[in-house]
Amino acid sequence: MVTAPTSAAPMENTAAPSTLTIKVPGAPAADPGVASTLIEISDLDFYYGAKQALFDVNLRLDEKRVTAFIGPSGCGKSTLLRCLNRMNDLIDGTAIRRGAIKVRGIDIYGADVDPIELRKRVGMVFQKSNPFPKSIYENITYGLRIQGVRSKTRLDEVVERSLRGAALWDEVKDRLHESGLGLSGGQQQRLCIARTIAVEPEIILMDEPCSALDPIATAKVEELIHALKKQFTIIIVTHSMQQAARCSDKTAFFYMGKLIEYADTSTIFMNPANPQTEAYVSGRFG
Amino acid sequence: MPSAPPDPPSPFPITKARTHLLGLTFDECIQVFFGGNAVMAVVILGLITFFLFKEGASFFGQNRENLTVYRRAGLEYVDFMRQQEQDHTALTRYLSDLRLRTLQHLTGPGGLTLAAANTQLAPFDEFANRYSDAVVPLRGFVSDLTDVATAIKTKFIVMGDNKTQREQLLGAGKTAEAAAVVITPVDFKAELAPLVGTLPAYRDLSTAFAKSLTEAIASPPKLPTPELQARMERFRALTQQYLVSFPATLKNLESWDYLKPVPVWQAFTAFLFGKDWLTASFWQDWYGIVPLFVGSLLVSVIALLLAVPLGVGAAIYVNQIASPLEQRLIKPSIEFISAIPSVVLGFFGIAVLGEALRALSHVTWLSWVPGFPFAERLNALTAGCLLALIAVPTIFTLAEDALNNVPRSFKEASFALGATRLQTVLRIIVPASLSGIVSAVLLGLGRVIGETMVVLLCAGNRIASPDFTAGLGVVTQPVHTMTGIISQEMGEVVRDSIQYRALFVVGIVLFFLALLINFLAQKIVRKYRISIG
Repeated sequence: MVTAPTSAAPMENTAAPSTLTIKVPGAPAADPGVASTLIEISDLDFYYGAKQALFDVNLRLDEKRVTAFIGPSGCGKSTLLRCLNRMNDLIDGTAIRRGAIKVRGIDIYGADVDPIELRKRVGMVFQKSNPFPKSIYENITYGLRIQGVRSKTRLDEVVERSLRGAALWDEVKDRLHESGLGLSGGQQQRLCIARTIAVEPEIILMDEPCSALDPIATAKVEELIHALKKQFTIIIVTHSMQQAARCSDKTAFFYMGKLIEYADTSTIFMNPANPQTEAYVSGRFG
Repeated sequence: MPSAPPDPPSPFPITKARTHLLGLTFDECIQVFFGGNAVMAVVILGLITFFLFKEGASFFGQNRENLTVYRRAGLEYVDFMRQQEQDHTALTRYLSDLRLRTLQHLTGPGGLTLAAANTQLAPFDEFANRYSDAVVPLRGFVSDLTDVATAIKTKFIVMGDNKTQREQLLGAGKTAEAAAVVITPVDFKAELAPLVGTLPAYRDLSTAFAKSLTEAIASPPKLPTPELQARMERFRALTQQYLVSFPATLKNLESWDYLKPVPVWQAFTAFLFGKDWLTASFWQDWYGIVPLFVGSLLVSVIALLLAVPLGVGAAIYVNQIASPLEQRLIKPSIEFISAIPSVVLGFFGIAVLGEALRALSHVTWLSWVPGFPFAERLNALTAGCLLALIAVPTIFTLAEDALNNVPRSFKEASFALGATRLQTVLRIIVPASLSGIVSAVLLGLGRVIGETMVVLLCAGNRIASPDFTAGLGVVTQPVHTMTGIISQEMGEVVRDSIQYRALFVVGIVLFFLALLINFLAQKIVRKYRISIG
């Protein structure tokens, strides 16, 4: 089901003699030229109260690429993801004790940073689809309305563009004013993605977006991720190694709150440097 | 073991236990115990409903009888004229109010002294006196007829009492004494003859009355400001309207027939739409629920207007904003309010709140508040404030539950889209839990409408529909309530009397109101559970 990201994709990619369908990220498949670093995480120690969840994480994430975070449950990958839009601020007692996260060189935990503004730039899609108990239209326009957009034509335009962007337009265009809760699980998740891209963030964080979906719905979301990376920087947390292999350019493997290995997805899966990574990706634990 | 037991132990002991109590096994006993408790609740509810209806149902028959006597004894006839007299009194009151306003204007800042102002008002007083004196002949006339009608009614009641006495004696087997009880039948026609015979006299009197009123308003005194002048014009228009109603009164009197039967539905409408609740009156008892119902409603609305923002606001704060420490502090405090006995709250209302509110109402710079200043320390506002206190824990607890039921993921999604906390609460959390909040408010209303002690102590207990022409100021008037009247009168009333029955019917109305509110609340909650999933 995975479509080639662009027409410029070399043919030999799909013919790669691998059991996993791996796009070779090293090849300049999506964009010509070398990807530039967008997010820079340095020496990050993160605590839930007294319990340390992340240990000295250093990571540079590329712009307009898909980066996957993998690792067994409780390894800190979701925690790190939620640090990137400061969702952890909502949980009492959380703190970054050391290190920094910089987006385009700006420390997002800086004293003069408004987390509200940050979250407008860094959208998030959750594990369980969570459309608001409102109509499809209201779900998508919510982000703009709270920013004060009132113009009906603007909202209509954004709704159509976002739904098309999330490959949902054809399925729901006749029932935009019906409840978003009436959609199927996969449609709901794509609605959540549409809702996120409606506010035009630069970065989209996805926290196991397909874990509650069946394989067909999963395939659609993965297709969508491919399409979206032309425009957005995507970071995806996943438990499915096939998914990481299918849709990411780079993969970071976490274990016990530490970043074990970070490299091109093909390297991680075909030729991991660390024995722990190899054990995990080959299914010996996790 | 030296001695072997008589029965060798079963190799596979799975036989039934042999414990029996009244022929039931242990398990069945437990079942009966719990089942019995559940059934008991249903049975008691059924019994309460049954007795309410049993005691209340015969009220309507009695009320119809009550209305029949009202007509037979000619009380209704006299009331037509009395109404005319009372309407005039109301107009006179308008006039004295106008005088007061004029006086205030004249003695206002930089104005005249009181004496000088009164001198200047002399023409006005002359006018007012002429106007109010016009009614004197009518008043005397009505007073005479009142005596006649009361006498007839008394005779009728004595007859009724004698009948009852004889029946009781007969029932006790005392035939001789029973025969000694004299029952004088009341010949209504003959008794009413002098009453109805006054019609020609009334006709003349009415014409003369109308003439003197017309003359009186022909030359109104000049008033200093256009605003007061407008009021005078309004007064004249009202008097014109009043004069126009004269022929209708006369027609009522002419067509009046003491034998006209009282339809059954009137026994119901007289209760449901009756504007007077008047008992132990020398004239006529009325059992109209409207003043009590309106009183209950007014007090409850005041209570909810205060309690909803407080309760829901506190629930939102505790659920969405407060730190864990604040939560631990605020939640039990609010819930503790419901532990205060309502009689203690009523006490507080009389001793502190009523006094404080009255003092507040006399503060000069607050005089713009509708209804301020007021003299009655116990009124709908005082009772409403305390009832709000009673409703707050209910509304708070249930609304907080409703907010708690909103999935956390909605909140996260909203924040992830760059919403502020306020936007998240107002646009996502509250709408998602709205039906739960509405049902919390409804249950708060149910709690408030059924509350007795506070309203009995603090609402002022004046049995009259509040005067809604006062606008928002209506809240500072004393009222009586359905719950209050039951607890006040039930202790003193004669068993099986019409008043006793009437109180039961008020109880039935309360019962249905509470039933309706609870039903709505449950229905809304159910709908809400489905919509959130």
